[in-house]
Amino acid sequence: MGKIVIKTVTVIGANGTMGSNITGIFASFGGAKVYMISRTLDKSIAAIEKVVKSVKADSIRSKLIPGDFSMLERCVKDSDIVFESIAEDFKVKQEINQQLARLVTKNTIVCTGTSGLSVTHLSEIFPPEIRKNFLGMHFYNPPYSMTLCELIPTKYTSNKLLNDIHAYLTGVLYRTAVIVKDSPAFLGNRIGFYFINEALINSEKFKYNGGIDYIDAIFGQFSGRSMAPLITSDFVGLDVHKAIIDNIKNNTSDYTNSSFVSPEFFSQLIRNGKLGRKTRGGLYKQELREDGTKRYLVYDIDTKEYRDVIAYRFPFAEGMKKSLAVGDYRSAIDILVDNKSIEAEICLELLLKYVLYSLTVSIDVGFNVNAADDVMAMGFNWCPPMAVVDAFSGSDRFADLAKKRLSPEYLKKINFDSVIANIVPSKYDFRRYFKAK
Amino acid sequence: MGKVYVLGGSQTDFERNWTKEGKNVIALLKESISDGLADACISYDEIVSLNKNNRVACFVGNFIAEEYVGQGHLGALMTEVHPVFAGVPSARYEAACASSSVAIDAAVSKIKVGDYDLAIVIGWELMKTVDSKVCGDILGKAAYYEKEAKDIEFPFPKLFGQLADELIKKYDLDPTRFFNALATISVQNYSNAKRNPLAQTRKWFMNYEQASHRNTTTNPLVGLSLAVSDCSQITDGAAVVILASENYIRHRKIVGAPIVKGFGHRVAPMTFKKKIEESAQNKYILPWTRQCILEAYERAHLTVEDMDFFETHDCFTSSEYAAISSFGITVPGKEYEAVEQGITAFDGTKPINPSGGLIGCGHPVGASGARMFLDLYKQVAGKAGNYQLKKHDNGIMLNIGGSATTNYCFIVGKDDENE
Repeated sequence: MGKIVIKTVTVIGANGTMGSNITGIFASFGGAKVYMISRTLDKSIAAIEKVVKSVKADSIRSKLIPGDFSMLERCVKDSDIVFESIAEDFKVKQEINQQLARLVTKNTIVCTGTSGLSVTHLSEIFPPEIRKNFLGMHFYNPPYSMTLCELIPTKYTSNKLLNDIHAYLTGVLYRTAVIVKDSPAFLGNRIGFYFINEALINSEKFKYNGGIDYIDAIFGQFSGRSMAPLITSDFVGLDVHKAIIDNIKNNTSDYTNSSFVSPEFFSQLIRNGKLGRKTRGGLYKQELREDGTKRYLVYDIDTKEYRDVIAYRFPFAEGMKKSLAVGDYRSAIDILVDNKSIEAEICLELLLKYVLYSLTVSIDVGFNVNAADDVMAMGFNWCPPMAVVDAFSGSDRFADLAKKRLSPEYLKKINFDSVIANIVPSKYDFRRYFKAK
Repeated sequence: MGKVYVLGGSQTDFERNWTKEGKNVIALLKESISDGLADACISYDEIVSLNKNNRVACFVGNFIAEEYVGQGHLGALMTEVHPVFAGVPSARYEAACASSSVAIDAAVSKIKVGDYDLAIVIGWELMKTVDSKVCGDILGKAAYYEKEAKDIEFPFPKLFGQLADELIKKYDLDPTRFFNALATISVQNYSNAKRNPLAQTRKWFMNYEQASHRNTTTNPLVGLSLAVSDCSQITDGAAVVILASENYIRHRKIVGAPIVKGFGHRVAPMTFKKKIEESAQNKYILPWTRQCILEAYERAHLTVEDMDFFETHDCFTSSEYAAISSFGITVPGKEYEAVEQGITAFDGTKPINPSGGLIGCGHPVGASGARMFLDLYKQVAGKAGNYQLKKHDNGIMLNIGGSATTNYCFIVGKDDENE
């Protein structure tokens, strides 16, 4: 039935976080032999353990062949797919792609794992007969549990190849494959970092209320996500966060453009090398006390110093958690809507904006509103936008609420009625995302 | 005696960890009851009106909530789920991992004799409230705890590891061939679960290579020769089944609802040692399991030839292995042939566990019987979605409690007389 068979894959940058995880997906579900290319052979050998652990399967060891760049030619010539997973830097990727352009055959499928660079520009490094086999394949971290894979074809990509790869990703690798346009940050990060950066901007605006941990407490698990937004930023890295928002700010022009600015304190942290969890300090910091217990610190924007994280107890949040603990979802949402504290208002406003922005951008960057649900559920583990509407008892109530609670200036900026008309019931169950925590 | 119809039901997503969500048993019950009633097109108002004439009852299957969530009196707990359950007869039924089968059995009997028109059966267990070692110890109470589980780490994998060893001994099996058949059973269940959107392991990786290589870092031995890949996992979840009388069906003009065609219920000696001693001279290693299935066939006036599919209790690969001959798919001792030839695979002639079974779909112990029964219903009604089988007129389930101590079977099929 014209299914493609992928027997051999070369992953370039296989010792990186994404490279090793993606190697695991191809070798396990795909059953493919994977050439792991890193800067040195030792790095590739060391990465094997990470790969095995990522899919919890020793059985894939025999599929993993460690290598370095001296072996690149032989590996590429033997591969059905070449997957580039190196640093997010156009020049670095350009160099590798120029090398690949000389090595690949016209039957080799070439994928880039870029999370935001222009796939079209990357493909133009290749001669026209190779461009048709080139596409973006953007996995989320960690792919074993986050099954989203954004597929980004360019204007040169063969339609047949796109369909074949889509079928391979869904049917063989068990991915939630979503085809998106070659637009800055694609769809998942565009929506996700809209939310995260709005939270970041709010943290500065409300720095005298507590700032970073204050905002994260407002968007706790009870608000429909597994990880609070600014902890997520700390987890992915402040530098990566900034690269994503800068890319969106500079290369898109919708009504949310000002939502993608970087607050000065954030840029300063990056300049000081405080990049988040990977540098043991960023928006948050963990320290070990003398007795061996962990101390959780947060950067205080006002005092510019780290201090202990505060255990905020907002009445609206406590009320929601109490209702969610016994499965009263409707009453939890009612509390969010009816409580007029500043915290509940911050929370509700961004949830409303998140849905409206998802609806708008999913049409521009994806091909339908379901795409927004897929990326947010399977890439971020957040309650996806249409499921948020379901939690608010459907599109009529949601629309009424948005009209009442968002400013007329804001509503004027979007084509409200047509955006609302696009709402469809979600295929995701909102209940699992609103946690009593 | 009247017929008993299956109107629908619900299953929670077995991937969910309710403790991590911070939700308690009431949240679990509320979701599954409201989903189950919605699936069967029954409103809460209708429960009120049926209850006025004492025509509706609830049957709760649960093994050991006292240990996992510190709650007893589980029939009465239904009144916390929704105010309409005030006054509705409701009780909890327990037979270890076969608990919700006993609840179904009670519901079927009450409808058959005409006591009630509508029965709401819910099986549930929240197991992730404790760590895996404590969980294993609690499950040990399904065996003779004092003799078979006390101070033993993970007693049940060891009991079913003994079953594996006894199978080899009894039928003089080639151990390699036997354990490879067990690996195939594991892979089939994992692979079937990939089609089931509510299965616990739907995102997990398993292949023959991984399942057949035991005693590795990622596939350690947990019960004698059985490894992690041979075991079902600790699961949270609930399953609801809605049953109705002929009277109800006629009144509501419902057509095409599947019916309960037969049941079997046999209890074997409590300890595994006694089971094996007792079956020494029998062709079947678990004769009471076989007897339970035979009686279900007899009550339904059907044979294994009429069965289009099977849902069995693969708490471990060895229990599914023994079930193959108990169902009559092969003679005892030749189960591996059915596995090797793909007869029990999804596209085989006698598919076992199209849902993914306990290994693939998950095993919240008190819910498993109801979950299997619901899967019989889904197949027969043509509502199994991505795991719908082509042939689905009649299906049988085997649910066991303890080390195949309590054995329960139900056959659900198309109502041939009302086509």
